[in-house]
Amino acid sequence: MIQVQNLSKSFQNIQAVNDISFTINKGEIFGFLGPNGAGKSTTLHMMSTIIKSDEGSIYIDGIATNDHPSACKQLIGVVPQEISLYEELSAYQNLMFWGNLYGIQKDVLKERIHTTLELIGLLDRKKDLIKTYSGGMKRRINIAAALLHQPKVLFMDEPTVGIDPQSRNHIFEVIETLNEQGMTIVYTTHYMEEVERLCDRIAIIDSGKIIAQGTQTELKELVPTKESIQLEYSLLSENNLQELQKLLPYSINADKNKICIEGSVQELSNVITVSNELQLSIKDIQLNKVNLEAIFLHLTGKQLRD
Amino acid sequence: MILTLLKKDLRLYFSDKKGILITFLLPIIMITLFAFAFGGVAKKKSAPKPLGVLVVDKDSTTTSQELITKLDAMPTIRLIPSQEQEALDLVKKGKNVGALVFEKGFSEAVTKGKSLPVELKYDAARDLQMRIVLSVLTEGLKYHLGKVDPTNTVQLKTTSLIKESTTKAHPGLVQAVGGTAIMMLLFSIAAIGGGMLDEKEAGTLNRLLIAPVKPLHILLSKMGTAMVVSILQLTTMFVFAWLAFGLPIFMDTLSLLLLILCISFAVSSFGVLLVSTVKTRQQLQGMSTIIIILMSAIGGSMIPITMMPSFMQKVAVISVNYWGMEGFFDIFWRQLPLINILPKMGILLAIGLGMTLGSTMLFKKNIIAIG
Repeated sequence: MIQVQNLSKSFQNIQAVNDISFTINKGEIFGFLGPNGAGKSTTLHMMSTIIKSDEGSIYIDGIATNDHPSACKQLIGVVPQEISLYEELSAYQNLMFWGNLYGIQKDVLKERIHTTLELIGLLDRKKDLIKTYSGGMKRRINIAAALLHQPKVLFMDEPTVGIDPQSRNHIFEVIETLNEQGMTIVYTTHYMEEVERLCDRIAIIDSGKIIAQGTQTELKELVPTKESIQLEYSLLSENNLQELQKLLPYSINADKNKICIEGSVQELSNVITVSNELQLSIKDIQLNKVNLEAIFLHLTGKQLRD
Repeated sequence: MILTLLKKDLRLYFSDKKGILITFLLPIIMITLFAFAFGGVAKKKSAPKPLGVLVVDKDSTTTSQELITKLDAMPTIRLIPSQEQEALDLVKKGKNVGALVFEKGFSEAVTKGKSLPVELKYDAARDLQMRIVLSVLTEGLKYHLGKVDPTNTVQLKTTSLIKESTTKAHPGLVQAVGGTAIMMLLFSIAAIGGGMLDEKEAGTLNRLLIAPVKPLHILLSKMGTAMVVSILQLTTMFVFAWLAFGLPIFMDTLSLLLLILCISFAVSSFGVLLVSTVKTRQQLQGMSTIIIILMSAIGGSMIPITMMPSFMQKVAVISVNYWGMEGFFDIFWRQLPLINILPKMGILLAIGLGMTLGSTMLFKKNIIAIG
């Protein structure tokens, strides 16, 4: 659906995007993960045709954005990072305005507004002015405004910034519904949990460069350390440890009353059963997963939110 | 503690360039302008430029010619020979303050001590200049004719070429309504133009650019909004002036409507040009205050243009206020036909077009630049 080849963009002396290439398949949710200032929004701005790249090319559904921006605009919907709505207008008036810009027939537009408001759960508030909405509600209308012309691709630039967990979940549900309907979604964020929940494939971007891309499983392969389970017992004698080593088929590292076993969450029930058989009282259990934060740390040597 | 707070406030204040401009530069500009307008500045270095008065010598005798030469030698006025019809037209159009007409038989009247057939035909809209000219000419005639006959009591007949009547507005009212209307309009339109910067800050401008909308469409739509507001604002002001002060707005409705349209176009394009030259609301506020007050001062919105020195009158032609005010005087005071007002309307349209072209170039660079 989207092919990006050797894309670069600089502003004065700052290289915002530096020779990046990636492909986004039809119907997938593609995540752009990176810290603030990594180049995510600039990449999105280039894909959404509002700025031109210095070098490289972007094809959306086979159409080059630099050569045919108008045709590309009809294919894409963009949910900007800012709440780009007119506060003094109602949700309905805002949506009518944004829909009209795409030349949608009035009756069709009215119907689409109804459907979209229903999808985001704000149909009953359609006549209220945007300024009376909560942050989460505004974010949902911000999404709705990008859907009215039924784009094939939806670009979402950090759409959950500054909202409560409930609204965030609502937005995730909307995104999942849209994706189920076949929409390709490009999602930028610096929240790894969002990417982990939503995205089929991920590009990790830092300092204008893509440092890794692939599925979550593929990315996790990049980290040498594996998932582990850490258990803390009330008391763990030398004998107890020897018993555990006999009964559990894993390599066990022990430190005082704690043991650390290399393995994933699936092994946990077995570990607990054996511990109970040995009448060991478990004080604390910790699962050390390899997550995107760890991958980012491994690849860049810095925290995702530095 | 107070000192710490004071230091902080001063630091913040002096970091605000707009505040500094308005506090220091604007008063300096205004003082300079008004000093030139009301005099007292150029006098130290050179004498003020004499007032040009047209002279028509229908008597054409040695006496009349000698008197004209002597009057012309006076420092305050300069007599410009002209034909009667041409002179009267120029005064009616507001080009000259008055025309001094020596009728046939002037020489004989001087010799016989009769009432002098000499008349000053003037433009009452230029009241202050007219009083100076009348006083100087009366004194000049008394002085020079007194040498011939010391008992001669000189009476200079005066006639306003544009009669005040119930169908005509007082020039002071035209000045007050027209001047204020254009100045206030400029402020309103600058604020509307500023809406573009609000859209930029809110992110709606970016969203518009993502939609199938060309930057030029955004600019022209903002200008269109400004024009509609301008037309409504000017119309409201003139209707108010009609209701409250009896300004005869229906005297030449077509000319007034066309002039309102032309002024609205010029002012709206000024608004979009202004907003296209800045990048932030703060810059806009600082610049618009200075430019609008400056334009209004030199363009005749604050003080009548005729009160200003000649070099300032020449500079005034660059301002929208000047051409708008001239148009209003043509309609309400000089009562000129539309054909005579059209050139001024044309200039307003040309100014508007020039500013629109300028803003289209600057808009892309300053307003829609992302990064």
